[in-house]
Amino acid sequence: MDTTLLIFLLVVVVLFVIGFLLLRHYEKQNNNAARRLKLAAQPYAFIGPVLILLLLAFGWPLINSFIMAFQNYKLTAPNAIRFNGLDNFQKLFDDSDIWLIITNSFVYVIVSVLGQFLLGMILALALRRKFRGRGVYQALVFLPWAFSAFVIGLIFRWSFNGEYGVINDLLVKMGLITEKIAWLGTPGLSLLVVILAMIWMGVPFFAIMILAALQSIPADVYEAADMDGCGPIRRYFAITLPYIKPTIIMTLLLRTIWIFNSFDLIVVITGGGPANFSQTLPSYMYTKAFSSYDFGLAAALGVLLIVILGVYAVFFLRVTKYNKAGDF
Amino acid sequence: MFRKLLAILLVLMLTVPMALVSAESVSLRFIDVSPSPARQEYFEKTFAKFKEETGITVNYESVPWDDAANKLTVLGTSNQLPDVMTTWAGWLGQFTSAGWVRPLSPYTKGTEDQYADTVTKLVWKGENELYGDTYTVPDGMMVKGVFVRKDWAAEEGLDLDPHKGWTYAQYFDAVYKLTNKEKNGYGTSFRGARGAFDPLFVYLQSFTGGKAYADDGKALFNSPECVAAYKTWNDLYLNSAAPKDAINWGFIEMVDNFTGGLTGTLINDSEVAATCIANMKDDQWMVMPMPKSDVDGKIYNTVNSPYAYSISTHSKHPDEAWKLIEFLTRPDNNIEYCKLTGLIPIRKEVGDDPFYGPDGYYATFMQQINDPAMVVPCAFGPFSYTDMHQGMMHEEMQKYLLGRQDAETSLNNVAKELETRMIDYLAANPGSKVEQPKGLSD
Repeated sequence: MDTTLLIFLLVVVVLFVIGFLLLRHYEKQNNNAARRLKLAAQPYAFIGPVLILLLLAFGWPLINSFIMAFQNYKLTAPNAIRFNGLDNFQKLFDDSDIWLIITNSFVYVIVSVLGQFLLGMILALALRRKFRGRGVYQALVFLPWAFSAFVIGLIFRWSFNGEYGVINDLLVKMGLITEKIAWLGTPGLSLLVVILAMIWMGVPFFAIMILAALQSIPADVYEAADMDGCGPIRRYFAITLPYIKPTIIMTLLLRTIWIFNSFDLIVVITGGGPANFSQTLPSYMYTKAFSSYDFGLAAALGVLLIVILGVYAVFFLRVTKYNKAGDF
Repeated sequence: MFRKLLAILLVLMLTVPMALVSAESVSLRFIDVSPSPARQEYFEKTFAKFKEETGITVNYESVPWDDAANKLTVLGTSNQLPDVMTTWAGWLGQFTSAGWVRPLSPYTKGTEDQYADTVTKLVWKGENELYGDTYTVPDGMMVKGVFVRKDWAAEEGLDLDPHKGWTYAQYFDAVYKLTNKEKNGYGTSFRGARGAFDPLFVYLQSFTGGKAYADDGKALFNSPECVAAYKTWNDLYLNSAAPKDAINWGFIEMVDNFTGGLTGTLINDSEVAATCIANMKDDQWMVMPMPKSDVDGKIYNTVNSPYAYSISTHSKHPDEAWKLIEFLTRPDNNIEYCKLTGLIPIRKEVGDDPFYGPDGYYATFMQQINDPAMVVPCAFGPFSYTDMHQGMMHEEMQKYLLGRQDAETSLNNVAKELETRMIDYLAANPGSKVEQPKGLSD
C-alpha cells in the first residue's frame, strides 16, 4: 500500500484514539463534566464512521491529486515519478490551446445553464396548472433526465452526423440548407451540438425542482394579490419569483458546478475535437489523464478546476444573498 | 469426543482444499485487446484444445480496443498484468521502459527459420534494434494497401492494375476522379482524427528514403519537400475529396464509410480485407499496392502485426505462458486465426495456402511483401509517444485543416517534439543508434 495513504490512515486512527482516551480521562476525573462531555461528543461519535468513509473516499483522493499536481506523474514512465515543483502549471499555461479551452468551458457552462434554466422555468410554469394528459406529458418531458449521458451523447452524435444525420436530412428537406453541414467537424458548431445535448438533458431537472417549489406557494397569497388587482407579470415578480428564489439559487449553483465538471457528453459526441474546439477543462483533464497518461498535468488541471469552482460558489452565494433568500 | 471430531473436521476442511489447489494444474490469464464474438470463440476453442494437450487452463479476458491502452497501463502500474497479452507494437516503447514485458529471446533462439521473413527480418530485427531483445511474437502479419471501389474506378475509366502498381501522383489523381459529390461519393476515406499522422508519416518518408531522423536525431520529415507533400496530402480534405466530417474520422469511420459506399479509396492494413469480404460484393472492391515514391520509385510501406503475443513480467508461469504462445502460433492454429482476422500467417509452413495465393483476396498484400522494391520506413521512435499519438499529432494536422495555422508550423510542431524526444533518447542511451529503413532483401 502507498506509504502516504498509510500515514493518512494512521493519523485518522490516532486522532480517534486520542479523542477516546481524553474522554475516558475526563470521565474518571469528573463524573458530571464527563457526562456533559459524553453528551457533547455523541453527535461526533455518530457521524464518525461516515466521516471516516468520506475522508477515505473523497479526502484521500483530493489530497493525492493535490500532491500529483506537483509531480512528474506519467503512467508511461512509472519509474520516473518525482516532484517537479510548478512544472505542471507552467506546462498548462504554456499550452497554446489553454485559453481556447477555458473560453469553451465558460461558454459551455453559461449557455447550458441559462438554456436549461429558462426552458425548465417555462416547462414548470406550463405544468403548474392541471390539464388533461398532464401526467403523460410530464413523464415524457422528464424522460431525458432518466437517460444516461452516454446514450444521449450517442443520439446526438448520430443525429448531427454530417453525412447520415437526421438533422442535416431534415434541414435539406425543409429547404433551409443546400450543402450538408459538418456539425461535428466545424469549430463552434461542434461545441454547439454538445451544448444542445446538455440543455436537452438538463431541462427536466430545473423543471422538476421549480415545479416542486411552485406547488409549495400558498394559494391564498395569490388570492390576496388578485383582490389587490395584481396583474400576472407583477404577480410573477412579486410573489412567485421571491418564493422560489432559494430553489432557483440552489439549482443554479448545483447545475453550474455539475455542468462545469461534466465531460461525458463531450467525450462521446466530439471527443473534444476538432483541434480542441469543443474541449472544456474537465474533458481536457480526462484526455490528459487517460489518453496521454499524464496524471500530473491532469491533476494540475483538477486543482485549477477546484479553484475556479470554489471562487464561483463563494461569489455566487454572496451575490445572490442566499442566507436571506425566502425571507418575507 | 465431540470436540476431537470437530477438531479433525476443521483440520480436514482446511487442509483438503489446499491440497486440491496445489494439485491443480497451472492456470494462465490471457487478455485480448481487440475482442469480437468471433475472436472470443476462436480463443476459447483453442484454449480448450490447449488444455486437452497440456493440462494448462487459460482464462480468457478482454478489453475493448479503445480502452485497451488505459487498461493495460493501469494493470501494469499495479503489477496485475495477465500472463499472456495481445499487445500493439506502438505500446512496446512504454512497456519495455516500464519493464512490463519479458524478453523472449531465450525461447525464440534457434527457431527463427520456422518463421516468415517478415517476422524475423522486420519485427524481431526492429525490436532488437530498438529495445535490445525480442519481446513479442506476432499474431499474424499485415501490410498496408489501397482498397479501391472497383465499380467506381471502372465507371471513371481508371486503369488500375495491382501488378503494375501506381505512383502517389497517380493515386491522388484517382482520388479526385472518384469524387462525385452529386452522387454523394468522395474519393477517399481521409483520416483526420486519432492515427491521422500514421499514413501521412509513411508518405512523408517517401521523400526521405524511409528515414525519420538523421544520425544525430534531427528530424528529416519536415524538409521543404516534406512540407509540400504535407500540403498535397491534406489537400485531399481541403479540396473536398473527403467529407468535411472526416476531420473527426478514426479507423472505424474510415472503414465503415468505405464499405458503406460513401468513399472510393481507403488506405489501410490487410486486416480490413476481412471486413470487405463480409460486407461487400467481390465486384465492388479491389486492393492496389501502396503507391510508389515519386522520388525513388520504391514502395514505402509498413509491415507489422496488428497485435502480438507477449509475456508479462508479472507472470509467475513464464514457461507455461510461452507454451501457450507456441500453441497459438502453431501452423494449424495460426492459419485458422489469420483467416478469421484477415492477416498473413507468420509461419513459413503455411505460406502456400491457396487463400493467400495469386487468386486469393490477399494477392496484392502477398505481392508487396515479396517485392524487392518494398521498404519498411522507420517508426516514430523507440521512446514513448503514446501521448502524441493520442493528441498532438492529429490536433496539429486538424489546426492546419481548419486554417488555424499554416502547414509549416503544423508539421514543424510535431517534428520538433519528436526530434526532442529522439535526441533525449540517444543521450540517455549511450551506444543506441537511430533506426534505419529495412527491406526484406537486407
